[in-house]
Amino acid sequence: MTNDSNQFDEPLNWGAAFFTWICPGLGQIMLGHRRRGFLAMSGVLGLFLSGLLIGGVDCVDRREDPLWFYAQAGSGPIAFAADWANSALLKTGKVGELIESPPSNPRATAPLVSSFKTVTVASEIGTLYCALAGLMNIVVLLDALKRRPIDRGEEGGAS
Amino acid sequence: MIPTTNLMLILGWIPFLQPAGSLGNFWWLLMVPLILGISVAYRATHDASIEQFWKRVFLFDLKSTLAMGSLAVAMYLFVYWVIPILQTN
Repeated sequence: MTNDSNQFDEPLNWGAAFFTWICPGLGQIMLGHRRRGFLAMSGVLGLFLSGLLIGGVDCVDRREDPLWFYAQAGSGPIAFAADWANSALLKTGKVGELIESPPSNPRATAPLVSSFKTVTVASEIGTLYCALAGLMNIVVLLDALKRRPIDRGEEGGAS
Repeated sequence: MIPTTNLMLILGWIPFLQPAGSLGNFWWLLMVPLILGISVAYRATHDASIEQFWKRVFLFDLKSTLAMGSLAVAMYLFVYWVIPILQTN
């Protein structure tokens, strides 16, 4: 009981939580839990980069898949950078070429899509990887919010 | 020996911009690294101590993979065995 009330009395590490969103695991590293932070970073960034490797940057699309993007945005600026790469490189045709796709409405003009647009199961799996990376970073962020900072002397044992 | 067509596809692939080649019927194997990433991030934050970290990650990964595999087998049996029996009755 005493431990529980002490736990709620401790201040929240808002700065560490913010830096965890900027770079997964950075909040834990700032609080002195270096090893824990680097492990969390490898888990979250490993998931996100694997998603991009499997499905390409087309997996992160703020306009076409907004619900997925809400989860992916949990990974931090890297999700916004992937969305920017998708919009600025693929959708403009700077990389690959733009091809006509069958219109959903027969009277409408055929929309142009990138030849690199993913339409296979790789797209779904890549999207899932990136979304789960974002959700796991929220878990890491909440951990940084509540984790007790340690002094340099304690580092070896506690982290 | 990699067939020439597949080799050309691999050489022409631009990582992170183009999707990776299809794994065909083995796409579900990508579940294993997915669970590995989740378990690394989860174990790094959840455990009070990170002693024996990789052993715990491996066990978490193994248990989750077996649970997902069991669910897949149960779904397969339900769709291909139970539903046809219900339809004939």
